[in-house]
Amino acid sequence: MEIVIIGNSAAGISALEAFRKYDQTSKVTLISKETDIVYSRVLLPYYLSGKLSQDKMVIRDPDYYSTMQTTIIQNDVVEICEKKKEILLADQQTIAYDRLLIATGSSAVKPPIEGLNHPQIFHMWTLDDVHQIEPLFKAGKRALFLGSGFVSLKAASVATSQGLDVTIYELMPRIMPQMVDDPGAELIEQKMIDSGAKLHVNTATTKVEKKPDGTLVVSAEGKEPLEVDFIIVGTGVRPNISFLVDSKVKVDRGILVNQKMETSVEGIYAAGDVAQGPTTFEEQHQIHALWPTAVEMGKIAGANMSGKSLDYSGSLNMNVSEFFGITAASIGRFIEDDQNEGFVYQEREKDGYLKVVFVQGVPVGGIAVGNPELVPYLGMLRPMIRKKKKIVYPKQKLFQYIHKKMASGSAELV
Amino acid sequence: MKIVTMDPSICVGCKNCEYSCSFVQKKDFVAKDSNIKVNWYPEDRFCIPVTCMHCQEPWCLEVCPANAISRNENTQAVEIDQEKCAGCKMCMLACPFGNIHFDTNNKVSGKCDLCGGDPTCVKFCISGALQFEEEEDAFYSKRLVLDNKIKKILGKGNSENDSRD
Repeated sequence: MEIVIIGNSAAGISALEAFRKYDQTSKVTLISKETDIVYSRVLLPYYLSGKLSQDKMVIRDPDYYSTMQTTIIQNDVVEICEKKKEILLADQQTIAYDRLLIATGSSAVKPPIEGLNHPQIFHMWTLDDVHQIEPLFKAGKRALFLGSGFVSLKAASVATSQGLDVTIYELMPRIMPQMVDDPGAELIEQKMIDSGAKLHVNTATTKVEKKPDGTLVVSAEGKEPLEVDFIIVGTGVRPNISFLVDSKVKVDRGILVNQKMETSVEGIYAAGDVAQGPTTFEEQHQIHALWPTAVEMGKIAGANMSGKSLDYSGSLNMNVSEFFGITAASIGRFIEDDQNEGFVYQEREKDGYLKVVFVQGVPVGGIAVGNPELVPYLGMLRPMIRKKKKIVYPKQKLFQYIHKKMASGSAELV
Repeated sequence: MKIVTMDPSICVGCKNCEYSCSFVQKKDFVAKDSNIKVNWYPEDRFCIPVTCMHCQEPWCLEVCPANAISRNENTQAVEIDQEKCAGCKMCMLACPFGNIHFDTNNKVSGKCDLCGGDPTCVKFCISGALQFEEEEDAFYSKRLVLDNKIKKILGKGNSENDSRD
């Protein structure tokens, strides 16, 4: 069999390793657009903060591809020809496949703001971005962060800790709508204020201009013009599917996949940020642009490409990081609405805030903001969310129940 | 492989395991630094010491975005390389047993590494609740088997609300 994997990050690598677990003989070719080494996007902020040296960004050994008996090609895929079962690279090379995995991930997008194409305006998405940002990432430099999602806020947090002068412009009424709830956002916002970072919510940026000395001047509705040395744009990502425009592979915002990570075309699979697939809440097609989801999807795709027929139990969104000295973690559906009920296990005043959201007694999500030691509670919650277990005892006893289950030797948790 | 097994029915909640684990790492008695945790519910007279079970398919290892978690060739223990660890805490969110903690001083995650094959907590457990034994002998399979046998004899179903006696 000829196996081709397009993509060199979490999903692609997870798929390669899963494939090789079952099939050590078929030929595998991996096409990577960016680099011929495997690096982790998640680690980029830790390089800028000085926590990890540059070599630690690479998460596989130098001889990885030869150990995995895989040919690595650093190139761009421009087209797929499903009839001939071939992919076309930018240098006109064609590569034949029996099974193909599209794990091309996603790319950072720029909102339609005038002047956002000046120099000194970056994304915080690739190794290359970080190399460009690095010379400007010094104490005293003035930086504007557009957007307050995970990536932008993490970058702003690192910048603040490195002594930069940090301003954040967010369009929405509060920060991190995808990752925290209102009380969680309040806690983080307070820490931001304490740290000296300047947060402006409900702020629509209208224009960026450049002064002769290189300073950027940012205009926003209802705000005085802001002068900064550089801007980091963190306003979201979009799946890399432009090369599929003439393809038979069915796409929506991303590539539609079923529980086996199969696309609409036989023999073609998709996984990771580019894939729009099943969630644990029985939604059929959602994009969870998260590292753990990419790893899980890649594992299923790789196994199925080798001939197995595994089903993905569905993505369960989980995310965690530290921002401005406070840890925030969330899992599943943690926003309270009129269909569910939240139960607060720990109020904000002590070590932090821990809440679990239930739908008719079944835990569906949780959020923790505060001390890092709250995070394992969400970890323990994860299997219960996946199994949709209804609790039949007072909600206050949830974690006690989980420990009781461990004590009674329940094999269910393993 | 041999792992630290836990029998909550004889755990007395003395926390010697937590203190000795913390001491052997940090020369201090800080429960927060311990790789083993005694979960204590006094209102129900119930406590269970929980530490890493070095799973066969460790989700923490698979999900780590820094590739900092690996299996030790000698002890088979699942270990965090704190030089590679970014402190992102993804592993803490991944472990279904809540067995990974955070070292706020060094800003890295920490977990049990079986003390290189000679676990300290087991040596200091005063009741014998902690043992270092082959996982086939692990308490959960023993208790599950015994539990089910008793239930069959008594003709009871499997109830979520099982009390501890």
